[in-house]
Amino acid sequence: MMRPEQIWIVIPAYNEGPVIGQVVSKVAGSGFPNVLVIDDGSKDDTARQARLAGARVLSHPINRGAGAAAQTGLAYARRQGWNCVVQIDADGQHHPEDIHRLVEVQAQTEADIVLGSRFLDPSPGIPPTRILYNRISNVLTNTFCQRNYSDTQTGFRLLSARAIRNLRLRLDGFGYCSEMIVQAEEKGLRIAEAPIQVTYTDYSLNKGQDLVMGVTTAVDLLWKLLFYPSKMK
Amino acid sequence: MKLEVYQIIVPLASLGFVFNLVRRFLKSKASWQEAALGAAFWLSVGIFALFPDAISKAIADFFGIKSNINAIIFFCLGLIFFFQYKLFFMLKKNQMAITELARKITLQQAEKEDLQS
Ligand SMILES: Nc1nc2c(ncn2[C@@H]2O[C@H](COP(=O)(O)OP(=O)(O)OP(=O)(O)O)[C@@H](O)[C@H]2O)c(=O)[nH]1
Ligand SMILES: [Mg+2]
Repeated sequence: MMRPEQIWIVIPAYNEGPVIGQVVSKVAGSGFPNVLVIDDGSKDDTARQARLAGARVLSHPINRGAGAAAQTGLAYARRQGWNCVVQIDADGQHHPEDIHRLVEVQAQTEADIVLGSRFLDPSPGIPPTRILYNRISNVLTNTFCQRNYSDTQTGFRLLSARAIRNLRLRLDGFGYCSEMIVQAEEKGLRIAEAPIQVTYTDYSLNKGQDLVMGVTTAVDLLWKLLFYPSKMK
Repeated sequence: MKLEVYQIIVPLASLGFVFNLVRRFLKSKASWQEAALGAAFWLSVGIFALFPDAISKAIADFFGIKSNINAIIFFCLGLIFFFQYKLFFMLKKNQMAITELARKITLQQAEKEDLQS
C-alpha cells in the first residue's frame, strides 16, 4: 500500500479564497503532507491562501476550466515522476479522511483509477437537483462506457502511476470527468470505486454548477465523443 | 443549354475546394469526417450551380414544397448549419490552443520555482 508521503493531493481551484486554506490544512491534518493546488486564474487570493496553508501552488495565467486545471496537474505530476495522485475539490465539500479509503481500495484492487463515489453510501443533504443532474450525467457517460459507474462526475479520484502516464485530457470544462473514464477504458486502465461522503455547505451550494453549465458540459462531451478527429483525441 | 458566368466559376471554385480538402486529408491535416463532409458540401454547391432550376425543382418536388424559391431557402438553411459546424469546430480548436499555451506558461513558471528552491 502507498504511504501517505508518497501520495500527492492535487486540488484544482477557481476563486476559492475563503475556503482553500482550510481545505489544504485539513488534508495535511489527515496525514497527507504533499498538497498541490492548481489555481485556475482565480480573481481572488486563492493562490496566496493556499501557499499560506503550506501547499505548492501552480497558477494558470487565465481561467481555463476544471478539466484544463486537472490536466495541468497531471502534466506536472508526470514531469515530477509522481506515482500516485489523489484529486479532490477545493470548495470544502470533500472529506480528506476519505483519501485513506481510496488508497485502501487501490491496494486491494490494484486499480489505476479509484473514483470516490458520492452515491454508493449517500450522504444526507445532497440537494435533489444535484442528484438529478448527476443521474443524467451518469446515464449519458455510461452509454459510452463498457461498465457502469455510480458517480461519473465526482471530483474525488485516485490516479496510479499508470493513469498519470497515460491519460491526456482535452476537455477544458467539467466534461473532463466523463472524458477521463471513457479514455481510461479505451487505454485499458482499470477503474474501481470507493464510497465517499460530501457536505453541502451554504458556501458550496451558492457556487455549484447550474443547469446551463450542465447542458454545456453535455454538449461538449457529446461533440468530443462523436466528432473530434482522432488526432485531437 | 446556355451557361451563365457563375455556372462556370462556382463549379470550378467548388472543385478547387474539394481538391484542397483531399490534399489536407492526405497530409493528415484534416480528419476523414471533416474531408468527407466538406467535399460533399462543395460538390453539391458545384452541381447546384450547374443545374439550379432542375435541382431546386427536384428538391421542391421531393419535399412537396410548392415553389423553388422555398427550396432555395431550405438549401440556405443547410448552408448555415454547415458553417455553424465549421465555426464550432474552429472555436474548439482555438480554445484548445489557448489552454495549451496557458499550461505551458504555468509549467515553465513551476520549473523556474522548482530550480530556485
Ligand atoms: N480549475 C477550475 N476549477 C473550477 C472551475 N470552476 C469550478 N472549479 C472547481 O471545481 C470544483 C467543483 O466545482 P463545483 O462547482 O463545486 O462542482 P461540483 O462539486 O461538481 O457541483 P456541486 O454538486 O454543485 O458542488 C471546485 O473545487 C471548484 O473550485 C474552473 O473554472 N476552473
Ligand atoms: Mg462542489
